Amino acid sequence: MTHLSLSNVSKKFVETFAVKDFNLTVERGEFVSFLGPSGCGKTTTLRMIAGFEVPTTGKVILDDVDITDKAPNQRNVGMVFQAYALFPNMNVAQNIGFGMRIHREPESAIKERVAEMLALIHLEQKGNSYPSELSGGQQQRVALARALANRPQVLLLDEPLSALDAKIRVSLRAEIRSIQRKLGITAIYVTHDQEEALSISDRIVVMSQGQMEQVGTPFEIYNFPQTAFVASFVGTLNTADAEVVDPAKKLIKIDGVQLETAEELDGRQKGDKIKVAIRPERLNFVSVEKKANVLDCTIENITFLGSVVRVQVTVGGNRFNMDTFNNPFLELPKIDAKEQITCSREAVLVLKN
Amino acid sequence: MRKINLWAWFWIFLGALYFFGPLYGALDFSLREKRGTLSLIAYQNVLKDPNFRNSFTYSTLIALATIVVGLLLIVSTAYWVHLRLPQARPIVDFITLLPFVVPAIVLVDGFIQIYSGPPFALTNTPQGTNVLLMFGYIVTAMPYMYRSIDAGLRAIDVRTLTEAGQSLGAGWITILFRVILPNIRTALLSGAFLTFAIVIGEYTFASLLARPAFGPYMVLLGQDRAYEPAALSIMSFALTWAAMMIIQLLGRGAPGQGQVAVAH
Repeated sequence: MTHLSLSNVSKKFVETFAVKDFNLTVERGEFVSFLGPSGCGKTTTLRMIAGFEVPTTGKVILDDVDITDKAPNQRNVGMVFQAYALFPNMNVAQNIGFGMRIHREPESAIKERVAEMLALIHLEQKGNSYPSELSGGQQQRVALARALANRPQVLLLDEPLSALDAKIRVSLRAEIRSIQRKLGITAIYVTHDQEEALSISDRIVVMSQGQMEQVGTPFEIYNFPQTAFVASFVGTLNTADAEVVDPAKKLIKIDGVQLETAEELDGRQKGDKIKVAIRPERLNFVSVEKKANVLDCTIENITFLGSVVRVQVTVGGNRFNMDTFNNPFLELPKIDAKEQITCSREAVLVLKN
Repeated sequence: MRKINLWAWFWIFLGALYFFGPLYGALDFSLREKRGTLSLIAYQNVLKDPNFRNSFTYSTLIALATIVVGLLLIVSTAYWVHLRLPQARPIVDFITLLPFVVPAIVLVDGFIQIYSGPPFALTNTPQGTNVLLMFGYIVTAMPYMYRSIDAGLRAIDVRTLTEAGQSLGAGWITILFRVILPNIRTALLSGAFLTFAIVIGEYTFASLLARPAFGPYMVLLGQDRAYEPAALSIMSFALTWAAMMIIQLLGRGAPGQGQVAVAH
């Protein structure tokens, strides 16, 4: 059941479109991330849902109610900010209970809800502390509790972990996801961190230059990027210019070497120029004799990354990265050695543009 | 290292001498009304004088009205500029600096020219003149009050705090009074006390508008008395210092200030 929908939403600042023709439906209880580089329009879209920006065109519908022109304080939407935005003059309990006091709920109900929220974020002992007495991670958990205390219809999170250090970021994102699942609340999460988006979301909206590039599950986004932008932005990817050899047999050619892909080449003609992509972890050295999808290469560099070893190879005029799990008992090739690498036909992705 | 410390102390001593020397002179003089002995006669004379009490009460009331109306006008302007019109900040900065450039005599003359005739005719009644005087003082104190409030607003993230308040269901007025103002408390107090200090001693406006304020009283007293004006100067200093100490004390107690975040 559609809970939140954005239809044909655009936002124009002076002459530039920050967001253009944005269409999205979000199911109740779904966790959707907006992922993209700075200036791609993800925060502007979130702010239009919150009511801090009014769309130039289009509609924002929440629970079948058009909230496009409603003031932010008239929408039942909870928001967590990158800078925490806790009220410095109020202690943790007062911060969490602020929204309920605004809605004139009975003091006993506020007290009960604040205690419930403090337990949810595991800060039962910090009710009387002021924001300045808390660490960044604790402040953000309080901000989350404050946004949830009002029982919002949608929870919006604007890069909530960006100001925290790496270790806390990982633990807190798991906590956010666990709380969201527990409460079954619909959440929209803005981030530029692909790992964060991949690990936390039910679906990801990849955005670039104000437009949606691709919408899909983390699995789809990572494994089957549809555009060159998604392929380059999410994970590490080897891209190369290729030429269609036989559309029916799904054969292509990279630098004269023929490869087979599992993707449809409908509508393509022999000789058409296309862009293909292969994930580094899908490439392997040829261990047994193989006839298809074999590329001759020269080892250019080897980088040890802990659990993974990244081997940089040149294939004709292209430079590919190949990731293999670190195995101390396996001998790695030497730099400048001539080797052969291969991949499955499913690993050869044909990009739309 | 030791040499630098000695020099620092030397300059501090020199500065203190420059500042406290005349003050000590005025204090000593104010205590010598009775020949050959130190006494508080000058202070007693001032405090017994009904004109002192009346003019001081009048100026205090005008100062309080100036603070309340001035804060309302300037806080709402500065808040709006921070939130919605950051591009207008240089213009507002310029306007608020004008009272530094335009002499008080020119300002009050302009006020009289515009507001003494129809349609306002404020100077026709004492109440109207009091209102005119109050607005004149708001203009005079504006550079100090605006700068103080502006600095307070710069120290907090006005936009994000406002948006956080809105997302929790609060309107503008609630956010301003429950979130923004408590967090710029020290700035408000310093703006208020600076305004108080300016209004209490102001002469030109009060004199030309013929109001019984403390500034003209001090000038009149200085014309025919010797020791009492010195006593009044010392009292004014004490009052200003007390105001400064109150700002410091209240500022130190503000929650969320001067506290260090603990580790996670």
